[in-house]
Amino acid sequence: MSDRAIFAARRRANALAMALSVAATAFGLVWLFLILSTLVVSGLSGMSLSVFTEMTPPPNVQGGGLLNAIVGSLVMTAIGVGIGAPIGILAGTYMAEYGRHEKLTTVTRFVNDILLSAPSIIIGLFVYGAVVVPMGRFSAIAGALALAAIVIPVVVRTTENMLLLVPNQLREAAAALGMPRANIVLTVCWRAARAGVLTGLLLAIARVSGETAPLLFTALSNQFWSLDITSAMANLPVTINNFINNPDPNWKRLAWAGALVITAAVLGLNIVARALAARSKSR
Amino acid sequence: MSEHIVRSYDRDLEALGRKIAEMGGVAEKMLTEAMDALSALDVDGARRVVTTDARLDALHREVEEGAIGTILRRQPMAVDLRECVAAIRIAGDLERVGDLAKNIAKRTLKIAGAGRMPRAIVGLKSMHECAAQQLKDVLDAYATRDPAAARAVWLRDAELDALEDSVFRDLLTFMMEDPRNITFCTHLLFCSKNIERIGDHSTNIAETVIYLVTGEAPLAERPKGESATA
Amino acid sequence: MSLVMHENPAAHAHGRRVKIDVRNVDFYYGDNRALKSITLPLFANSVTAFIGPSGCGKSTLLRVLNRMYDLYPGQRATGEALLDGRNILDPAVDVNFLRSRVGMVFQKPTPFPMSIYENIAFGIRLYEKLPRSELDARVEEALRGAALWEEVKDKLDASGQSLSGGQQQRLCIARTVAIRPEVILFDEPCSALDPISTAKVEELIEELQEDFTIAIVTHNMQQAARVSDTTAFMYLGELVEFGETQRMFAAPENKRTQDYITGRFG
Repeated sequence: MSDRAIFAARRRANALAMALSVAATAFGLVWLFLILSTLVVSGLSGMSLSVFTEMTPPPNVQGGGLLNAIVGSLVMTAIGVGIGAPIGILAGTYMAEYGRHEKLTTVTRFVNDILLSAPSIIIGLFVYGAVVVPMGRFSAIAGALALAAIVIPVVVRTTENMLLLVPNQLREAAAALGMPRANIVLTVCWRAARAGVLTGLLLAIARVSGETAPLLFTALSNQFWSLDITSAMANLPVTINNFINNPDPNWKRLAWAGALVITAAVLGLNIVARALAARSKSR
Repeated sequence: MSEHIVRSYDRDLEALGRKIAEMGGVAEKMLTEAMDALSALDVDGARRVVTTDARLDALHREVEEGAIGTILRRQPMAVDLRECVAAIRIAGDLERVGDLAKNIAKRTLKIAGAGRMPRAIVGLKSMHECAAQQLKDVLDAYATRDPAAARAVWLRDAELDALEDSVFRDLLTFMMEDPRNITFCTHLLFCSKNIERIGDHSTNIAETVIYLVTGEAPLAERPKGESATA
Repeated sequence: MSLVMHENPAAHAHGRRVKIDVRNVDFYYGDNRALKSITLPLFANSVTAFIGPSGCGKSTLLRVLNRMYDLYPGQRATGEALLDGRNILDPAVDVNFLRSRVGMVFQKPTPFPMSIYENIAFGIRLYEKLPRSELDARVEEALRGAALWEEVKDKLDASGQSLSGGQQQRLCIARTVAIRPEVILFDEPCSALDPISTAKVEELIEELQEDFTIAIVTHNMQQAARVSDTTAFMYLGELVEFGETQRMFAAPENKRTQDYITGRFG
């Protein structure tokens, strides 16, 4: 084969590979666009100020909003992250800083990876058995614990990875000044990994804010305003789940609006996380 | 010596060594021809010596440029650094040897018209033999990087000093015998001084060779012959 | 040509005071013996250069002198390294105290992720509680000592990582000097710097030796020849030759030293 023919063949192979890749990307994007457009169209039609100011309506009553569900989601997410983030960060710190060469770290990493990919409904069932059944009722705290169980592996993973990215030279440089270990971790390593860990945390929040399955068996839902964390509490995902399965057009309308609220929140968190990651990289 | 990782470095240093060898050959030839011209009062021979000096000067410049270029490009260390320094020093000594031979030739041109005085030149001839041997030995020592041979040359300088003393006494005698010999003999006196200096340059080269190979200059004071003209 | 280590290296001392006396130090990465019975002195207020091909153990030796290897499991040193008579390798020695006396500057500039001011104040605060004005003075003193003050005095609040490579390295030197150690170890401090920055660091090293004992590992032979008083050539974990720098580079005694510094083996 002449040189010219070789290059022509290569160009054809290149064009084919390129076409296939573009087609695959387009296929994915089309579905994403369809989902988002449906969501936005249906969601916007159900959107009104009352969504954020009024409680969930009883069946076959016009009007009403999602205030109790939104607040309930915020409360449970806050408690879940409040419990899960410190545990996750500390565990990740142990794995990257103190126990890097320990067996415990290897085992923890393995278990953590399993937890990371575990279906969330299983976590919901576990918390149901461990908390809801002994307490004798559904409760917001049970829901928050289920969310924490989802937050922890994500945060452990990102914290460990981000700390492992901190160059060893930085630790050595700090140690060379005679800095004690705890000081090095707190003031040098955490500071260097701050943006990355924060990004991971935001992604974890984004992930749990849409979780339905673990809340079904734990927080259940509540039609009324409640801030009592020991009893059932309304929340967006379960409310959407309940409302969309009902023929009442008002409920369907609110379900779409709720879905749009969650999507917008998750999108916002993702954008903040990306911005943080980009800033830490550019430095 | 094993080779450098960068092979052109070896070629640089080899080129320096070859140029020094060539300079040595030219200087030896100039010295011999100058002495031959002096013995025969051969004007043409003397003129040839004078013109050859330009070639030696050109070589001297080439060695200096080569050594400076090598220092510039390679930042030589240890034996390589000494190689470059030695090349510059030896080239300088050889260039001076050429100048001294040229000076003998110029004096030959001046006294060629005067009467010949073979017995006055006998002493100079033995001085020349001694100096030529030293120069040859020290150039061999450089070529073979042999510090022992160089040291032998370095120690032998006293011989030449002794010979110079006896030439000095002989020429003084001739001048006292007949004042008409004074001009001729004075020129010969300067020639003997030139040969003695060539010996000194051989000694310098010997020191350089010792430094080149061992990294140390000979410390002990050289045994000096008694020199009436010092 | 080979009378290298038969005599006591301290014979080169000419009455200079020995700051760190390394005696028969061996070092192991697991089972791998990386240093083989190293014995040499580091003279006070002078610069000792360590040269040798990669993997010869020169950086390892430096990391023994501030027990940096303690950070990693499976690394250990035996023998003695006496800092003013006290054995650095003694497990009873507090490593943080040791490192406050034996500072280190690394190959890659390693400013901490904080402001220029904090990069320096941080180390000082570890050891001294100073009122703000005195701390300011100490930071300025350290930055002046590292010839960096004029360049950064108007942006002390800027991130240390915003400086150029050469400035970062001088910031690291300032940070080390600020806690007033007695010995400073430089591990290839200029290998990532341009020639101008390198010259500034070398100038600095020359000034620093008035107050500190300095050891420098470098792959740049000319640099070793320029900055050091004494040079150690190491090969395959052994000390091959140790002596006065000028003599070492003009006329090394050992053939392996000569082959290495003249570029005859890799």
